[in-house]
Amino acid sequence: MQRMERVEVNIPSNPIFERVVRASAAEIGETLGFSGDRIEDLKLAVSEAVNNAIEHGNKSEAHKLVEVVFALDQEKLEVRISDQGAGIERLDFSRRIVEEQNLEEGMLRGFGTYLISALVDDCEVSSSQTGTVLTLRLYRKGQTQ
Amino acid sequence: MSDVIRREEFGDVAVLHIGTPSVDGVSAAAIEAACAEMRPITVLDFSNVSFINSSGISSLLKFVVTARKAGYKLFAMNVSPHHQKIFKMVEMSRFMPTIEERDLATYR
Repeated sequence: MQRMERVEVNIPSNPIFERVVRASAAEIGETLGFSGDRIEDLKLAVSEAVNNAIEHGNKSEAHKLVEVVFALDQEKLEVRISDQGAGIERLDFSRRIVEEQNLEEGMLRGFGTYLISALVDDCEVSSSQTGTVLTLRLYRKGQTQ
Repeated sequence: MSDVIRREEFGDVAVLHIGTPSVDGVSAAAIEAACAEMRPITVLDFSNVSFINSSGISSLLKFVVTARKAGYKLFAMNVSPHHQKIFKMVEMSRFMPTIEERDLATYR
């Protein structure tokens, strides 16, 4: 049977605390022996997911929590980011780049979900009226230093 | 000028040294405020930056928009390999190419 370890971090919906989750992600990535580049990928994907949960899930209502669970086993690191919002219809993970037209129109945001999908091995979303859970997975094989 | 950005100027060149390690939603407003300090050639120095997320990219795009409107040139300097990868992924590098510190010497 595989041994699994869990680390949980709960933060209020204030963007400053996203840095706490990011620091935790970095420590866990180091513990797993991920390469420097892989740790940076992990930090960025987790950062985007947490900010999404704060802003779009919990609508920046500070009393609502974002729960982050890091689950480690021999095969992978799984990160589950949950908010306490009213749910979403869908998340758009399609590729998003800087384009002239968007610059002209002042549309300077919206890269987060694309970056998440590009930086982790797989991700999935489940959503209901009581919140949204985004699950990120990074497999350990061939990803260490 | 805030602690987040330290400005250096010579001739038509402004070098904006980003002092915060995190270019994110928390530091975005202070970084964007430096758009008002741009010159015909503006260089953003990332040597102290260890993290950039999409909120940070949005704040950097304000410099791109300002430069395009004013006809200014915008460059990035001392960008880490990981951040170069991210800039390439979102094609930010098309609008803010990198410049080597030694190339700045020609303007001094």
